[in-house]
Amino acid sequence: MEELTVVGKPVTRVDVQEKVTGAAVYGYDLVLPDMVYGKVLFSSKAHARIKRIDTEKAKTYPGVVAVVTGKDAPWIHGEAIRDKPFLAQGKVRYVGEPVAAVAAVDEDTAQAAVRLIEVEYEDLPAYLSPEDACKPGAIPIHEDFASYRKMNFILPGAMPNVCEHFKLRTGDVEQGFRESDIVLEERYFVPTIQHAAMEPHSAHAQVDPATGKVTIWVANDAPFRALHEISEALGLPQEKIRFINPLQGGGFGSKGGLKVEPIAVALAYHTNGRPVRVKFNREETFISTLTRNEAALYIKSGVKKDGTIRAREMTIYWGGGAYAEKSPTVCIRGSLPGPGPYRISHVKVDGYAVYTNKPVAGSFRGYGIPKVAWACEQHTDELARRVGMDPLEFRMKNVFVDGDVSYWGEQLHSVGLKETLTKAAAAIEWGKKSSRVQEFKGLRVGKGLACIQKPTRSPTTSKAGVIVDAKGEVAVLAGTVEIGQGCSTILSQVAAEELKIPIEKIHMAELDTDAIPFDASTTSSRSTYHMGNAVRRAAIDAREKLAEMASPMLEGEKNDLAFADGKVFLKDHPGMALPLGEVIRRKLGADGTVRGDASYTYELAKELDLETGHSDNASAFYMYATQAAEVAVDEETGRVRVLRMSAAHDVGKAINPLNCAAQIEGGLAMGIGSALHEHMVVDDQGKVRNPSFLDYHLVTALDLPEMIPIVVECPEPEGPYGAKGLGEPGLAPTPAAIGNAVADAIGIRIYDLPLSPERVYRAIQENKKKVA
Amino acid sequence: MRRPEPLEIFQPTSIREAGALVKEKGPGGRFLAGGTDLVIAVKEKSFSPKYVVDLKRIPGLSGIREEADGGLKIGSLTTLREVEISPIILKRFPFLAQSAAEVGSVQIRNRATIGGNMANATPSADVAPALLALEARARIAGLNGERVVELEQFFRGPGQTVMAPEEILTEIIIPPANPSLVGEYIKFSPREMMDLAYIGVAVAFVFNASQKLCEKVRIALGAVSPTPMRARGAESLLEGQVLTEELAEKAGAEAARECKPISDVRSSADYRRDMVRVNTKRALLNAAAQRPGKWTERRDRRY
Repeated sequence: MEELTVVGKPVTRVDVQEKVTGAAVYGYDLVLPDMVYGKVLFSSKAHARIKRIDTEKAKTYPGVVAVVTGKDAPWIHGEAIRDKPFLAQGKVRYVGEPVAAVAAVDEDTAQAAVRLIEVEYEDLPAYLSPEDACKPGAIPIHEDFASYRKMNFILPGAMPNVCEHFKLRTGDVEQGFRESDIVLEERYFVPTIQHAAMEPHSAHAQVDPATGKVTIWVANDAPFRALHEISEALGLPQEKIRFINPLQGGGFGSKGGLKVEPIAVALAYHTNGRPVRVKFNREETFISTLTRNEAALYIKSGVKKDGTIRAREMTIYWGGGAYAEKSPTVCIRGSLPGPGPYRISHVKVDGYAVYTNKPVAGSFRGYGIPKVAWACEQHTDELARRVGMDPLEFRMKNVFVDGDVSYWGEQLHSVGLKETLTKAAAAIEWGKKSSRVQEFKGLRVGKGLACIQKPTRSPTTSKAGVIVDAKGEVAVLAGTVEIGQGCSTILSQVAAEELKIPIEKIHMAELDTDAIPFDASTTSSRSTYHMGNAVRRAAIDAREKLAEMASPMLEGEKNDLAFADGKVFLKDHPGMALPLGEVIRRKLGADGTVRGDASYTYELAKELDLETGHSDNASAFYMYATQAAEVAVDEETGRVRVLRMSAAHDVGKAINPLNCAAQIEGGLAMGIGSALHEHMVVDDQGKVRNPSFLDYHLVTALDLPEMIPIVVECPEPEGPYGAKGLGEPGLAPTPAAIGNAVADAIGIRIYDLPLSPERVYRAIQENKKKVA
Repeated sequence: MRRPEPLEIFQPTSIREAGALVKEKGPGGRFLAGGTDLVIAVKEKSFSPKYVVDLKRIPGLSGIREEADGGLKIGSLTTLREVEISPIILKRFPFLAQSAAEVGSVQIRNRATIGGNMANATPSADVAPALLALEARARIAGLNGERVVELEQFFRGPGQTVMAPEEILTEIIIPPANPSLVGEYIKFSPREMMDLAYIGVAVAFVFNASQKLCEKVRIALGAVSPTPMRARGAESLLEGQVLTEELAEKAGAEAARECKPISDVRSSADYRRDMVRVNTKRALLNAAAQRPGKWTERRDRRY
């Protein structure tokens, strides 16, 4: 292979300057000429019929431009299951559901008019936990569920309110348990948490009265998918809809699908062509956009005395909230690898995505893996303890290696898991008594680790264009959204590498669905691999065209040409080099451009079998990671302090090692927050009690430990330069690693997240009582 | 519901003028100091005061002065950041500086004032327990002159003080203290920073280090009753006694008995009580150990 010039180098982020100077324009910052301002009336009931809505006073309030309710916006959207109205239709299913909206000359006026809308409700029983909602006899939260349009992979459950039942059947778990020396059954629980992106949600929309074209400005992580969803809901052809994507101030899964967009669109149909802005504040973002699924996880394993895991059975109830959103696919792709990255002959998994009367849950960085890892990885430590093995040794004996056939029937390759295990463990001096016991006198110090394997959604497509102009500048047309993850840097590096043009000459074209080729989504850690491949191929396409044009100019065969430093030259005469812009100018004039195009799809992927959950090619690639934590627990207060944490991630190939380390550190910070603090508290009326950063605790820089990011490169043959993905796994094993370290420190297993001081304190107190 | 009207804001240049304004405009107005509570209440919690009287144009309300008798006077508009970094306070009452340093972030502390922190009368205000442990007093100015009240009498309930609507808190007075006074403030909250106290404990006592004898023991608690409170039962256990770990433990248990915490989204009442017990003990032992250091280092002693 040719030596790489830009790929693999710690290139500084290309967007760093505009972001640190505040020049960058995010979705929330957007101002459109002549726009009006929307505010929303949210449901105050968890589950109720709407008997009456009176909007008369709001409509006549001075400054109001439009008032809309479900009657004015009779549209339903949804990706996997089409179940969600733009505005409530006849009933409300959670506290925070949009019921009506007002557009006015300014935000205060709109808010004042919203308060004038009267709604009369008739209460229905509310279900606030997934296990309650699917008990026999529970009334349906969606009466018309049977008639909803569903994707072909959806398998509705036999129990009430189950919108997806994922089944995995391998071997015979009962036989496996009989063959085992020790059988252990446990229940773990992960509460609802918030994405807490720095930028709250917003959307701007405009309907052209002349053409009927709907334009939406929104920092959505999957504009093409959102466009499709809007198109289906409104019954409009796709060319009548346009998404323009400003920068996104973080999303972590909360900004895909449709969130504020439907409200903005519903209003925009009534403002006579004026654009509408709907901005959610932090509280509205908490209650009315998206949350991470809560999950109750039952796990049972059989293990031989020698440490071989024979059988594992899991039943997982994923709390979906009031609408399906991405819960069905979180259920599928989270439950599938739920039993962990281990060789197990007998496996049975039942995953249920269950409607509840809580804020909508769905995709969140990690897509189910953080929840299953919390259960599986602590359970695995308990198994190791019971057979008297070191947790690291136990894992090294059982984890997947290259060539293994996984319990879902796929032969695995490029498995960097063992390397991540040994490196993460070594980084915190695994096996050595903590050197910091003295320093933290009176505290209990412990170590723990956890590992994961994560698939990516497959098959999916990314298309890209690369345009070189007569100045030698390059525009990359890619539908990947800069959500803060650094894709503009990575894709610029890929284009620069293939065209051999300095990275400063490369820029990303603005994301506008009218001009940019299709991309499936900026989700599932798929972009570096899929869009990286597409941009790489598009750049090669452009390079080939440039070579063809340069060949007569340099009087050489195409194959005799080489590219470097923005120039093309004959391999044998590097001194006679033509700048690429010059090549274009000579052939096409000063306005000439050369465009390369490409598309990448991982064609081999096969859907999972609905009855067995099997597929011999379930994912384009798998990401492997191990994180190891050293913690100190204050037994008198229950406070857990993470002292240091290593994170070894198999990324295939680090396109940008600097960005990889930053991704890992960001993931750790988020994971530590979800391990120690984060929990959306919903009261018995379905109301969120802590919808602000005052009482919803994210970690601050001061709460973070010494972080040790480790990049493992086990190349993926299909990936660009061998790359896989990295975005999601950063936080996936974090809570489990910390949970294992806490258990090591205090000798008590804690089954529920978060490991808040009070929860840990209670566990210590109860244990003391038990011992006494 | 009325449409929010533009907010009326006054900027008087004397206390008399400010009081007269309030008298004239009637109830429903609010004084503005640093604005770190008021502005957020207006912007994010739909609080709409009838009018706002900004106190920042009134001269002489800011600054820290050492009195001839050894006491301290802190103007009500002194920012918490000034309290945090004041050389006099760091030297004389480092735990008071630390309590100020525990509030919000540097940006918040650059705006928030000690007077605002007291007049707002939040039960969890970090500076209040430290001031109570120092037996601080509040100087209040009204249209008919001034009065001075014990800070302990100043708080009446969450958000309530002894002040009449037109009265203004002008100064915090810290009486002269024995040179052997030691103290400590512990804020207990799950996060290291940018958090509200689940409980706060301040202790101050005159300590004879060689005999480990405690005198004039003051223990004050935050976030465990409607107002910041003194734990007098715990104080009397220690008065004139030799400080031992066992005695500190007993005093902690007594403080836990005395406080009246509630359960809320942050914490249960039982847990708050237990944390008062543990952290009162720790505050007493830490104060006696008299380890120097900046507050960020001192924070580690919580563990």
